[in-house]
Amino acid sequence: MTDNKVLSGIVEIGRGMATVGKHLFRPPVTLEYPEVMPELSKRFHGRLCLLTKSSGEDLCIGCQACARVCPCGDLIQIEMHRDDKKQPVIDRFTIDIGRCIFCGNCTEVCPVDCIKMLNDFELADYSREALVLDKSGLSLSGEESDKYRKEHGLEPHVE
Amino acid sequence: MSTTANFPTTSQGVFLEKDIDTNDMVVNIGPQHPSTHGVLRLITTLDGELVKEIEPVIGYLHRSKEKMAESRSLFQYQPTIDRVEYLSSFFDHYAFVAALEKIADLHVPKRVQYIRMITMELNRITSHLLWFGTYLLDLGATSPMFYAFREREKILSLFEDLTGARMMYNYYRFGGVVADMPEGWLDKVRAFLDEAPKRFDEYEAIVSKNPIFLDRTMGIGIIQPEVAIQYGVTGPTLRASGVNLDQRKANPYCCYDEVEFDVPLGTKGDCYDRFVVRMQEMRESLKIIRQAVDNMPGGDTADLNKRRESGDETANDVELQTYGKKINLITYKPPKGEAMVTVESPRGFLGCYMITDGTPKAYRIKWRGASFSNLSILPELMRGRLFPDLMSIFGSIDVILPEVDR
Repeated sequence: MTDNKVLSGIVEIGRGMATVGKHLFRPPVTLEYPEVMPELSKRFHGRLCLLTKSSGEDLCIGCQACARVCPCGDLIQIEMHRDDKKQPVIDRFTIDIGRCIFCGNCTEVCPVDCIKMLNDFELADYSREALVLDKSGLSLSGEESDKYRKEHGLEPHVE
Repeated sequence: MSTTANFPTTSQGVFLEKDIDTNDMVVNIGPQHPSTHGVLRLITTLDGELVKEIEPVIGYLHRSKEKMAESRSLFQYQPTIDRVEYLSSFFDHYAFVAALEKIADLHVPKRVQYIRMITMELNRITSHLLWFGTYLLDLGATSPMFYAFREREKILSLFEDLTGARMMYNYYRFGGVVADMPEGWLDKVRAFLDEAPKRFDEYEAIVSKNPIFLDRTMGIGIIQPEVAIQYGVTGPTLRASGVNLDQRKANPYCCYDEVEFDVPLGTKGDCYDRFVVRMQEMRESLKIIRQAVDNMPGGDTADLNKRRESGDETANDVELQTYGKKINLITYKPPKGEAMVTVESPRGFLGCYMITDGTPKAYRIKWRGASFSNLSILPELMRGRLFPDLMSIFGSIDVILPEVDR
Protein backbone atom coordinates (compact mmCIF):
# COMPACT_ATOMS: atom_id res chain seq x y z
CA MET A 1 0.00 0.00 0.00
CA THR A 2 2.74 2.44 0.99
CA ASP A 3 4.73 1.43 -2.06
CA ASN A 4 1.76 2.22 -4.25
CA LYS A 5 1.39 5.62 -2.64
CA VAL A 6 5.05 6.42 -3.11
CA LEU A 7 5.00 5.19 -6.69
CA SER A 8 1.82 7.06 -7.60
CA GLY A 9 3.22 10.15 -5.87
CA ILE A 10 6.33 10.07 -8.03
CA VAL A 11 4.23 9.53 -11.17
CA GLU A 12 1.89 12.40 -10.31
CA ILE A 13 4.69 14.83 -9.47
CA GLY A 14 6.35 13.82 -12.75
CA ARG A 15 3.11 14.51 -14.63
CA GLY A 16 2.85 17.93 -12.98
CA MET A 17 6.46 18.77 -13.78
CA ALA A 18 5.97 17.72 -17.42
CA THR A 19 2.96 20.05 -17.67
CA VAL A 20 4.98 22.90 -16.21
CA GLY A 21 7.86 22.06 -18.52
CA LYS A 22 5.67 22.45 -21.62
CA HIS A 23 5.57 26.17 -20.95
CA LEU A 24 9.23 26.45 -21.87
CA PHE A 25 8.30 26.10 -25.53
CA ARG A 26 5.37 28.51 -25.55
CA PRO A 27 5.65 32.16 -26.54
CA PRO A 28 5.58 34.60 -23.59
CA VAL A 29 2.25 36.23 -22.78
CA THR A 30 3.67 39.29 -21.03
CA LEU A 31 4.50 42.69 -22.54
CA GLU A 32 7.71 44.67 -22.02
CA TYR A 33 5.53 47.50 -20.76
CA PRO A 34 7.41 50.80 -20.94
CA GLU A 35 8.81 49.92 -24.38
CA VAL A 36 5.71 48.16 -25.69
CA MET A 37 2.42 49.90 -24.90
CA PRO A 38 -0.68 47.72 -24.45
CA GLU A 39 -3.51 48.08 -26.94
CA LEU A 40 -6.41 49.56 -25.05
CA SER A 41 -10.04 49.39 -26.03
CA LYS A 42 -11.92 52.46 -27.29
CA ARG A 43 -14.11 52.38 -24.21
CA PHE A 44 -11.17 52.54 -21.83
CA HIS A 45 -11.75 54.62 -18.69
CA GLY A 46 -8.71 56.89 -18.68
CA ARG A 47 -8.04 60.56 -18.07
CA LEU A 48 -11.00 62.91 -18.51
CA CYS A 49 -10.92 65.54 -21.25
CA LEU A 50 -13.18 68.19 -22.71
CA LEU A 51 -13.98 68.09 -26.41
CA THR A 52 -14.30 71.40 -28.21
CA LYS A 53 -16.06 72.63 -31.32
CA SER A 54 -14.26 72.15 -34.64
CA SER A 55 -13.28 75.83 -34.44
CA GLY A 56 -11.66 75.27 -31.03
CA GLU A 57 -14.32 77.11 -28.97
CA ASP A 58 -15.80 75.63 -25.80
CA LEU A 59 -18.43 72.97 -26.35
CA CYS A 60 -19.41 72.84 -22.67
CA ILE A 61 -22.66 74.60 -21.80
CA GLY A 62 -22.09 74.63 -18.04
CA CYS A 63 -25.18 72.58 -17.18
CA GLN A 64 -23.54 70.95 -14.11
CA ALA A 65 -24.89 67.49 -15.04
CA CYS A 66 -21.45 65.89 -14.68
CA ALA A 67 -20.88 67.53 -11.30
CA ARG A 68 -24.24 66.29 -10.05
CA VAL A 69 -23.69 62.61 -10.85
CA CYS A 70 -20.08 62.44 -9.66
CA PRO A 71 -19.76 60.02 -6.72
CA CYS A 72 -16.74 61.91 -5.34
CA GLY A 73 -18.47 65.07 -4.19
CA ASP A 74 -16.90 68.31 -5.42
CA LEU A 75 -14.43 66.73 -7.81
CA ILE A 76 -15.75 68.66 -10.84
CA GLN A 77 -16.15 72.40 -10.29
CA ILE A 78 -17.74 74.60 -12.91
CA GLU A 79 -18.32 78.37 -12.81
CA MET A 80 -20.12 80.03 -15.70
CA HIS A 81 -22.07 83.15 -16.66
CA ARG A 82 -24.14 84.16 -19.68
CA ASP A 83 -22.99 86.83 -22.08
CA ASP A 84 -25.11 89.53 -23.80
CA LYS A 85 -26.53 87.01 -26.30
CA LYS A 86 -27.48 84.60 -23.45
CA GLN A 87 -24.76 82.20 -24.57
CA PRO A 88 -22.98 80.32 -21.78
CA VAL A 89 -19.38 81.28 -21.04
CA ILE A 90 -17.30 78.94 -18.88
CA ASP A 91 -15.16 80.91 -16.42
CA ARG A 92 -13.63 77.97 -14.61
CA PHE A 93 -13.72 74.20 -15.13
CA THR A 94 -11.47 72.12 -12.88
CA ILE A 95 -11.26 68.37 -12.33
CA ASP A 96 -9.18 66.88 -9.53
CA ILE A 97 -7.84 63.81 -11.35
CA GLY A 98 -6.12 62.68 -8.15
CA ARG A 99 -9.50 61.96 -6.58
CA CYS A 100 -11.27 60.66 -9.70
CA ILE A 101 -12.34 57.01 -9.54
CA PHE A 102 -12.76 56.73 -13.35
CA CYS A 103 -16.32 55.43 -13.16
CA GLY A 104 -17.50 57.19 -16.32
CA ASN A 105 -20.76 58.55 -14.88
CA CYS A 106 -20.03 62.09 -16.12
CA THR A 107 -19.35 60.98 -19.69
CA GLU A 108 -22.69 59.22 -19.80
CA VAL A 109 -24.93 62.11 -18.76
CA CYS A 110 -23.25 64.92 -20.74
CA PRO A 111 -25.99 66.30 -23.05
CA VAL A 112 -23.53 67.70 -25.64
CA ASP A 113 -20.93 64.86 -25.59
CA CYS A 114 -18.31 67.25 -24.29
CA ILE A 115 -16.68 65.47 -21.34
CA LYS A 116 -15.07 62.20 -22.49
CA MET A 117 -12.40 59.75 -21.44
CA LEU A 118 -9.02 59.30 -23.14
CA ASN A 119 -6.79 56.23 -23.28
CA ASP A 120 -4.21 58.05 -21.17
CA PHE A 121 -3.49 56.11 -17.97
CA GLU A 122 0.00 57.29 -16.95
CA LEU A 123 -1.10 60.01 -14.59
CA ALA A 124 1.44 59.90 -11.77
CA ASP A 125 2.89 63.23 -10.69
CA TYR A 126 5.02 64.69 -7.94
CA SER A 127 2.38 66.86 -6.25
CA ARG A 128 -1.35 66.75 -5.64
CA GLU A 129 -1.76 70.27 -7.01
CA ALA A 130 -0.41 69.19 -10.40
CA LEU A 131 -3.28 66.71 -10.68
CA VAL A 132 -5.95 69.40 -10.47
CA LEU A 133 -6.50 70.15 -14.15
CA ASP A 134 -8.11 73.39 -15.32
CA LYS A 135 -9.90 74.14 -18.57
CA SER A 136 -6.76 74.65 -20.64
CA GLY A 137 -5.30 71.36 -19.38
CA LEU A 138 -8.48 69.43 -20.08
CA SER A 139 -9.56 70.82 -23.44
CA LEU A 140 -8.53 69.17 -26.67
CA SER A 141 -7.90 71.32 -29.71
CA GLY A 142 -10.48 71.47 -32.50
CA GLU A 143 -8.63 69.00 -34.71
CA GLU A 144 -8.03 66.56 -31.87
CA SER A 145 -11.72 66.74 -30.97
CA ASP A 146 -12.75 66.00 -34.54
CA LYS A 147 -10.35 63.06 -34.58
CA TYR A 148 -11.74 61.76 -31.28
CA ARG A 149 -15.32 62.04 -32.54
CA LYS A 150 -14.42 60.18 -35.72
CA GLU A 151 -12.60 57.37 -33.92
CA HIS A 152 -15.32 56.83 -31.34
CA GLY A 153 -18.25 56.96 -33.72
CA LEU A 154 -19.71 60.19 -32.37
CA GLU A 155 -21.61 62.53 -34.63
CA PRO A 156 -19.44 65.31 -36.07
CA HIS A 157 -20.06 68.68 -34.50
CA VAL A 158 -22.24 71.10 -36.47
CA GLU A 159 -22.90 74.71 -35.55
CA MET B 1 3.93 25.47 36.66
CA SER B 2 5.48 22.25 37.79
CA THR B 3 8.95 22.58 39.21
CA THR B 4 9.53 18.93 39.80
CA ALA B 5 9.85 17.95 36.18
CA ASN B 6 12.57 15.48 35.64
CA PHE B 7 14.15 16.57 32.37
CA PRO B 8 16.05 13.89 30.50
CA THR B 9 19.52 14.59 29.24
CA THR B 10 19.90 15.88 25.72
CA SER B 11 21.58 12.72 24.54
CA GLN B 12 18.27 10.91 24.99
CA GLY B 13 16.78 13.31 22.47
CA VAL B 14 13.23 13.58 23.81
CA PHE B 15 11.57 15.47 26.58
CA LEU B 16 9.16 13.73 28.87
CA GLU B 17 5.66 15.06 28.48
CA LYS B 18 4.31 14.14 31.87
CA ASP B 19 4.61 16.47 34.83
CA ILE B 20 5.16 19.48 32.58
CA ASP B 21 2.41 22.10 32.73
CA THR B 22 2.52 24.63 29.97
CA ASN B 23 0.75 27.93 29.53
CA ASP B 24 -1.38 28.61 26.48
CA MET B 25 0.20 30.97 24.04
CA VAL B 26 -1.74 33.77 22.35
CA VAL B 27 -0.54 34.54 18.84
CA ASN B 28 -1.77 37.36 16.66
CA ILE B 29 -2.03 36.52 12.98
CA GLY B 30 -2.46 39.66 10.98
CA PRO B 31 -3.86 42.31 10.52
CA GLN B 32 -1.13 42.48 7.89
CA HIS B 33 -0.49 38.94 6.79
CA PRO B 34 -0.08 37.81 3.19
CA SER B 35 -2.29 34.76 3.58
CA THR B 36 -5.34 36.54 4.97
CA HIS B 37 -6.01 38.15 1.53
CA GLY B 38 -6.94 41.45 3.03
CA VAL B 39 -6.83 42.91 6.47
CA LEU B 40 -7.97 40.34 9.00
CA ARG B 41 -6.67 39.72 12.48
CA LEU B 42 -6.92 36.25 14.00
CA ILE B 43 -6.36 36.02 17.76
CA THR B 44 -5.16 32.44 18.11
CA THR B 45 -4.80 30.61 21.42
CA LEU B 46 -2.28 27.82 20.95
CA ASP B 47 -1.59 24.80 23.09
CA GLY B 48 1.66 23.68 21.54
CA GLU B 49 0.83 22.94 17.93
CA LEU B 50 -2.90 22.68 18.58
CA VAL B 51 -5.30 25.57 18.15
CA LYS B 52 -7.54 25.86 21.21
CA GLU B 53 -9.48 28.92 20.22
CA ILE B 54 -9.44 31.33 17.30
CA GLU B 55 -11.19 34.65 17.12
CA PRO B 56 -11.41 36.67 13.91
CA VAL B 57 -11.33 40.45 14.42
CA ILE B 58 -12.91 42.25 11.50
CA GLY B 59 -13.68 45.85 10.59
CA TYR B 60 -10.29 47.09 9.41
CA LEU B 61 -11.64 47.66 5.90
CA HIS B 62 -14.94 49.24 6.88
CA ARG B 63 -15.80 52.02 4.41
CA SER B 64 -19.47 52.55 5.38
CA LYS B 65 -20.81 51.43 2.02
CA GLU B 66 -24.36 51.19 3.37
CA LYS B 67 -24.37 54.66 4.91
CA MET B 68 -22.93 56.17 1.72
CA ALA B 69 -26.10 55.17 -0.10
CA GLU B 70 -28.14 57.51 2.10
CA SER B 71 -26.20 60.60 1.07
CA ARG B 72 -26.00 59.99 -2.66
CA SER B 73 -28.51 59.57 -5.46
CA LEU B 74 -28.82 55.99 -6.68
CA PHE B 75 -26.88 56.65 -9.87
CA GLN B 76 -24.19 58.51 -7.92
CA TYR B 77 -23.91 55.59 -5.51
CA GLN B 78 -23.63 52.94 -8.21
CA PRO B 79 -19.88 53.23 -9.02
CA THR B 80 -18.97 52.77 -5.37
CA ILE B 81 -20.61 49.34 -5.09
CA ASP B 82 -17.89 47.95 -7.36
CA ARG B 83 -15.73 48.18 -4.28
CA VAL B 84 -17.99 46.05 -2.05
CA GLU B 85 -16.62 42.86 -3.52
CA TYR B 86 -14.00 43.84 -6.03
CA LEU B 87 -13.25 40.40 -7.45
CA SER B 88 -16.75 39.90 -8.78
CA SER B 89 -18.39 43.29 -9.05
CA PHE B 90 -20.87 42.29 -11.74
CA PHE B 91 -22.79 40.37 -9.08
CA ASP B 92 -23.00 43.40 -6.79
CA HIS B 93 -24.24 45.48 -9.67
CA TYR B 94 -26.79 42.90 -10.69
CA ALA B 95 -28.24 42.68 -7.16
CA PHE B 96 -28.40 46.47 -6.89
CA VAL B 97 -29.88 47.05 -10.32
CA ALA B 98 -32.35 44.17 -10.08
CA ALA B 99 -33.61 45.42 -6.72
CA LEU B 100 -34.48 48.78 -8.25
CA GLU B 101 -35.97 47.14 -11.34
CA LYS B 102 -38.23 45.19 -8.98
CA ILE B 103 -39.32 48.31 -7.12
CA ALA B 104 -39.88 50.46 -10.21
CA ASP B 105 -41.14 47.56 -12.34
CA LEU B 106 -38.75 48.39 -15.20
CA HIS B 107 -38.70 46.18 -18.27
CA VAL B 108 -35.32 44.62 -19.08
CA PRO B 109 -34.79 43.50 -22.70
CA LYS B 110 -33.83 39.91 -23.30
CA ARG B 111 -30.57 40.85 -25.06
CA VAL B 112 -29.51 42.78 -21.96
CA GLN B 113 -30.29 39.83 -19.71
CA TYR B 114 -28.13 37.57 -21.88
CA ILE B 115 -25.23 40.06 -21.84
CA ARG B 116 -25.57 40.20 -18.06
CA MET B 117 -25.57 36.43 -17.79
CA ILE B 118 -22.40 36.09 -19.93
CA THR B 119 -20.55 38.77 -17.97
CA MET B 120 -21.59 37.33 -14.61
CA GLU B 121 -20.45 33.82 -15.51
CA LEU B 122 -17.14 35.10 -16.93
CA ASN B 123 -16.73 36.99 -13.68
CA ARG B 124 -17.35 33.81 -11.70
CA ILE B 125 -14.49 32.18 -13.60
CA THR B 126 -12.12 35.10 -12.88
CA SER B 127 -12.99 34.94 -9.21
CA HIS B 128 -12.48 31.18 -8.97
CA LEU B 129 -9.22 31.44 -10.93
CA LEU B 130 -7.87 34.02 -8.52
CA TRP B 131 -8.93 31.80 -5.64
CA PHE B 132 -7.20 28.83 -7.25
CA GLY B 133 -3.94 30.74 -7.70
CA THR B 134 -3.80 32.29 -4.26
CA TYR B 135 -4.94 29.16 -2.45
CA LEU B 136 -2.07 27.17 -3.92
CA LEU B 137 0.25 30.05 -3.14
CA ASP B 138 -0.87 29.75 0.50
CA LEU B 139 -0.05 26.05 0.38
CA GLY B 140 3.39 26.72 -1.07
CA ALA B 141 2.96 26.14 -4.81
CA THR B 142 4.03 29.18 -6.80
CA SER B 143 3.62 28.34 -10.49
CA PRO B 144 -0.16 27.68 -10.62
CA MET B 145 -0.74 31.32 -9.70
CA PHE B 146 0.94 32.53 -12.89
CA TYR B 147 -1.08 30.14 -15.02
CA ALA B 148 -4.35 31.14 -13.34
CA PHE B 149 -3.57 34.83 -13.82
CA ARG B 150 -2.79 34.22 -17.51
CA GLU B 151 -6.35 32.99 -18.15
CA ARG B 152 -7.81 35.64 -15.86
CA GLU B 153 -6.00 38.26 -17.90
CA LYS B 154 -7.76 37.07 -21.06
CA ILE B 155 -11.18 37.49 -19.45
CA LEU B 156 -10.21 40.89 -18.08
CA SER B 157 -9.29 41.99 -21.62
CA LEU B 158 -12.75 40.89 -22.74
CA PHE B 159 -14.24 43.01 -19.95
CA GLU B 160 -12.07 45.94 -20.97
CA ASP B 161 -13.39 45.76 -24.52
CA LEU B 162 -16.96 45.64 -23.25
CA THR B 163 -17.01 48.04 -20.31
CA GLY B 164 -13.80 50.05 -20.52
CA ALA B 165 -12.52 48.91 -17.14
CA ARG B 166 -10.79 45.80 -15.91
CA MET B 167 -12.12 45.52 -12.38
CA MET B 168 -14.46 48.42 -11.57
CA TYR B 169 -16.96 47.98 -14.36
CA ASN B 170 -19.96 50.20 -13.58
CA TYR B 171 -21.65 48.68 -16.63
CA TYR B 172 -25.22 47.74 -15.65
CA ARG B 173 -27.90 50.41 -15.58
CA PHE B 174 -31.47 50.46 -14.37
CA GLY B 175 -33.29 48.53 -17.07
CA GLY B 176 -30.32 48.04 -19.34
CA VAL B 177 -26.58 48.27 -19.84
CA VAL B 178 -24.37 51.24 -20.75
CA ALA B 179 -23.66 50.21 -24.33
CA ASP B 180 -24.14 47.23 -26.60
CA MET B 181 -21.32 44.76 -27.16
CA PRO B 182 -18.57 45.94 -29.51
CA GLU B 183 -18.61 44.28 -32.93
CA GLY B 184 -16.97 40.87 -32.88
CA TRP B 185 -16.96 40.58 -29.10
CA LEU B 186 -18.91 37.33 -29.13
CA ASP B 187 -16.27 35.75 -31.40
CA LYS B 188 -13.61 36.65 -28.85
CA VAL B 189 -15.69 35.01 -26.13
CA ARG B 190 -16.04 31.90 -28.31
CA ALA B 191 -12.27 31.77 -28.80
CA PHE B 192 -11.83 31.86 -25.03
CA LEU B 193 -14.44 29.13 -24.55
CA ASP B 194 -12.54 26.86 -26.94
CA GLU B 195 -9.24 27.41 -25.18
CA ALA B 196 -10.26 27.41 -21.53
CA PRO B 197 -11.06 23.67 -20.99
CA LYS B 198 -7.52 22.75 -22.12
CA ARG B 199 -6.07 25.16 -19.60
CA PHE B 200 -8.28 23.81 -16.81
CA ASP B 201 -7.05 20.31 -17.68
CA GLU B 202 -3.51 21.59 -17.24
CA TYR B 203 -4.29 22.97 -13.79
CA GLU B 204 -5.72 19.67 -12.72
CA ALA B 205 -2.73 17.79 -14.11
CA ILE B 206 -0.43 19.92 -11.98
CA VAL B 207 -2.44 19.98 -8.79
CA SER B 208 -5.37 17.69 -8.25
CA LYS B 209 -3.42 14.44 -7.68
CA ASN B 210 -0.22 15.91 -6.31
CA PRO B 211 0.58 13.95 -3.10
CA ILE B 212 1.63 17.06 -1.16
CA PHE B 213 -1.59 18.84 -2.09
CA LEU B 214 -3.67 15.78 -1.19
CA ASP B 215 -2.00 15.46 2.21
CA ARG B 216 -2.72 19.08 3.02
CA THR B 217 -6.35 19.11 1.92
CA MET B 218 -7.91 15.64 2.17
CA GLY B 219 -9.81 15.11 5.41
CA ILE B 220 -8.87 18.60 6.62
CA GLY B 221 -11.50 21.13 7.67
CA ILE B 222 -14.55 18.92 7.32
CA ILE B 223 -17.81 20.89 7.49
CA GLN B 224 -20.85 18.77 8.34
CA PRO B 225 -23.94 19.76 6.32
CA GLU B 226 -26.00 20.55 9.45
CA VAL B 227 -23.26 22.76 10.87
CA ALA B 228 -22.88 24.59 7.58
CA ILE B 229 -26.61 25.33 7.44
CA GLN B 230 -26.63 26.51 11.08
CA TYR B 231 -23.87 29.02 10.38
CA GLY B 232 -25.51 30.30 7.20
CA VAL B 233 -22.67 29.15 4.97
CA THR B 234 -23.54 29.38 1.27
CA GLY B 235 -21.95 28.96 -2.13
CA PRO B 236 -19.35 26.36 -3.12
CA THR B 237 -18.38 25.97 0.54
CA LEU B 238 -21.87 24.70 1.33
CA ARG B 239 -22.21 22.63 -1.83
CA ALA B 240 -18.93 20.84 -1.07
CA SER B 241 -20.69 19.47 2.03
CA GLY B 242 -23.32 17.92 -0.22
CA VAL B 243 -26.16 20.41 0.26
CA ASN B 244 -27.76 21.20 -3.07
CA LEU B 245 -28.54 24.89 -2.72
CA ASP B 246 -27.82 27.15 -5.63
CA GLN B 247 -29.77 30.38 -6.10
CA ARG B 248 -29.52 29.99 -9.88
CA LYS B 249 -31.54 26.76 -9.65
CA ALA B 250 -33.57 27.35 -6.48
CA ASN B 251 -34.85 30.78 -7.38
CA PRO B 252 -33.84 31.53 -10.99
CA TYR B 253 -33.07 35.16 -11.73
CA CYS B 254 -31.84 36.80 -14.93
CA CYS B 255 -32.27 34.07 -17.60
CA TYR B 256 -30.82 31.13 -15.71
CA ASP B 257 -34.00 29.11 -16.20
CA GLU B 258 -33.33 29.10 -19.96
CA VAL B 259 -29.90 27.46 -19.84
CA GLU B 260 -28.92 23.96 -18.82
CA PHE B 261 -26.19 23.33 -16.30
CA ASP B 262 -25.40 21.05 -13.37
CA VAL B 263 -24.65 22.02 -9.80
CA PRO B 264 -21.46 20.21 -8.72
CA LEU B 265 -21.74 18.70 -5.25
CA GLY B 266 -19.10 17.38 -2.88
CA THR B 267 -19.48 14.39 -0.59
CA LYS B 268 -17.24 14.82 2.45
CA GLY B 269 -17.03 18.59 2.84
CA ASP B 270 -13.26 18.80 3.31
CA CYS B 271 -10.85 21.26 1.69
CA TYR B 272 -10.29 18.93 -1.26
CA ASP B 273 -14.01 18.75 -2.01
CA ARG B 274 -14.22 22.54 -1.99
CA PHE B 275 -11.34 22.62 -4.49
CA VAL B 276 -13.05 20.08 -6.74
CA VAL B 277 -16.42 21.83 -6.58
CA ARG B 278 -14.89 25.15 -7.61
CA MET B 279 -12.95 23.60 -10.48
CA GLN B 280 -16.11 21.91 -11.74
CA GLU B 281 -18.10 25.10 -11.34
CA MET B 282 -15.77 26.86 -13.75
CA ARG B 283 -16.51 24.20 -16.38
CA GLU B 284 -20.25 24.57 -15.74
CA SER B 285 -19.87 28.33 -16.19
CA LEU B 286 -18.26 27.71 -19.57
CA LYS B 287 -21.29 25.60 -20.47
CA ILE B 288 -23.67 28.42 -19.51
CA ILE B 289 -21.67 31.02 -21.45
CA ARG B 290 -21.62 28.84 -24.57
CA GLN B 291 -25.41 28.44 -24.50
CA ALA B 292 -25.89 32.15 -23.89
CA VAL B 293 -23.54 33.12 -26.73
CA ASP B 294 -25.27 30.74 -29.14
CA ASN B 295 -28.78 31.86 -28.17
CA MET B 296 -28.02 35.57 -27.90
CA PRO B 297 -31.12 37.44 -29.14
CA GLY B 298 -30.10 39.41 -32.23
CA GLY B 299 -26.72 37.71 -32.45
CA ASP B 300 -23.53 39.67 -32.86
CA THR B 301 -23.73 43.47 -32.93
CA ALA B 302 -22.29 43.59 -36.46
CA ASP B 303 -25.18 41.47 -37.79
CA LEU B 304 -27.72 43.53 -35.87
CA ASN B 305 -26.31 46.80 -37.19
CA LYS B 306 -26.44 45.44 -40.75
CA ARG B 307 -30.09 44.50 -40.29
CA ARG B 308 -30.86 47.94 -38.92
CA GLU B 309 -29.13 49.69 -41.82
CA SER B 310 -31.02 47.62 -44.39
CA GLY B 311 -34.29 48.84 -42.86
CA ASP B 312 -35.37 45.63 -41.15
CA GLU B 313 -38.09 46.61 -38.67
CA THR B 314 -37.68 43.47 -36.54
CA ALA B 315 -34.13 44.56 -35.64
CA ASN B 316 -35.56 47.54 -33.76
CA ASP B 317 -37.63 45.28 -31.50
CA VAL B 318 -37.65 46.31 -27.83
CA GLU B 319 -36.07 43.00 -26.79
CA LEU B 320 -32.96 43.81 -28.84
CA GLN B 321 -32.30 47.26 -27.39
CA THR B 322 -29.75 48.15 -24.73
CA TYR B 323 -32.38 49.87 -22.60
CA GLY B 324 -35.95 48.84 -21.92
CA LYS B 325 -36.96 52.41 -21.22
CA LYS B 326 -34.36 55.15 -21.09
CA ILE B 327 -34.60 57.02 -17.80
CA ASN B 328 -33.04 60.36 -16.95
CA LEU B 329 -30.27 59.27 -14.62
CA ILE B 330 -29.68 62.75 -13.15
CA THR B 331 -33.19 63.42 -11.90
CA TYR B 332 -34.59 59.90 -11.64
CA LYS B 333 -36.85 59.40 -8.63
CA PRO B 334 -37.80 55.76 -8.04
CA PRO B 335 -41.27 55.06 -6.62
CA LYS B 336 -41.75 54.19 -2.98
CA GLY B 337 -41.13 50.54 -2.20
CA GLU B 338 -38.74 47.90 -0.99
CA ALA B 339 -37.16 44.83 -2.55
CA MET B 340 -34.64 42.15 -1.74
CA VAL B 341 -32.64 40.45 -4.49
CA THR B 342 -30.30 37.56 -3.78
CA VAL B 343 -27.86 36.30 -6.38
CA GLU B 344 -25.45 33.39 -6.39
CA SER B 345 -22.04 35.06 -6.30
CA PRO B 346 -18.79 33.01 -6.49
CA ARG B 347 -18.72 32.99 -2.69
CA GLY B 348 -22.38 32.36 -1.99
CA PHE B 349 -25.56 34.35 -1.53
CA LEU B 350 -25.11 38.03 -2.17
CA GLY B 351 -28.16 40.05 -1.28
CA CYS B 352 -29.17 43.66 -1.73
CA TYR B 353 -32.08 44.96 0.31
CA MET B 354 -33.27 48.35 -0.87
CA ILE B 355 -35.91 50.69 0.53
CA THR B 356 -36.81 53.77 -1.48
CA ASP B 357 -38.99 56.64 -0.31
CA GLY B 358 -39.72 58.56 -3.50
CA THR B 359 -36.58 60.73 -3.43
CA PRO B 360 -33.53 60.26 -5.70
CA LYS B 361 -31.70 58.69 -2.77
CA ALA B 362 -32.38 55.28 -1.28
CA TYR B 363 -33.79 55.34 2.23
CA ARG B 364 -31.71 52.31 3.19
CA ILE B 365 -29.51 49.78 1.46
CA LYS B 366 -28.37 46.62 3.18
CA TRP B 367 -25.80 44.26 1.71
CA ARG B 368 -25.78 40.59 2.64
CA GLY B 369 -22.26 39.45 1.91
CA ALA B 370 -21.51 35.75 1.62
CA SER B 371 -17.99 36.08 3.03
CA PHE B 372 -19.26 37.37 6.38
CA SER B 373 -21.28 34.24 7.09
CA ASN B 374 -18.63 31.97 5.64
CA LEU B 375 -15.97 33.49 7.88
CA SER B 376 -18.08 32.86 11.00
CA ILE B 377 -17.54 29.10 10.67
CA LEU B 378 -13.74 29.42 10.97
CA PRO B 379 -13.54 29.20 14.83
CA GLU B 380 -15.70 26.07 14.71
CA LEU B 381 -13.46 24.46 12.09
CA MET B 382 -10.18 25.34 13.75
CA ARG B 383 -10.97 24.16 17.28
CA GLY B 384 -8.54 21.36 18.14
CA ARG B 385 -6.85 21.39 14.74
CA LEU B 386 -3.15 21.67 14.04
CA PHE B 387 -1.82 25.18 13.54
CA PRO B 388 -0.34 24.51 10.05
CA ASP B 389 -3.85 23.57 8.87
CA LEU B 390 -5.05 27.11 9.52
CA MET B 391 -4.08 28.52 6.11
CA SER B 392 -5.28 25.48 4.25
CA ILE B 393 -8.70 25.74 5.93
CA PHE B 394 -8.98 29.51 5.86
CA GLY B 395 -7.99 29.65 2.20
CA SER B 396 -10.47 26.97 1.21
CA ILE B 397 -13.54 28.90 2.41
CA ASP B 398 -12.61 31.75 0.02
CA VAL B 399 -13.19 34.81 2.15
CA ILE B 400 -12.73 38.27 0.71
CA LEU B 401 -12.35 40.87 3.42
CA PRO B 402 -13.77 44.01 1.76
CA GLU B 403 -17.04 42.13 1.49
CA VAL B 404 -16.95 41.15 5.17
CA ASP B 405 -16.43 44.71 6.40
CA ARG B 406 -18.11 46.61 3.55
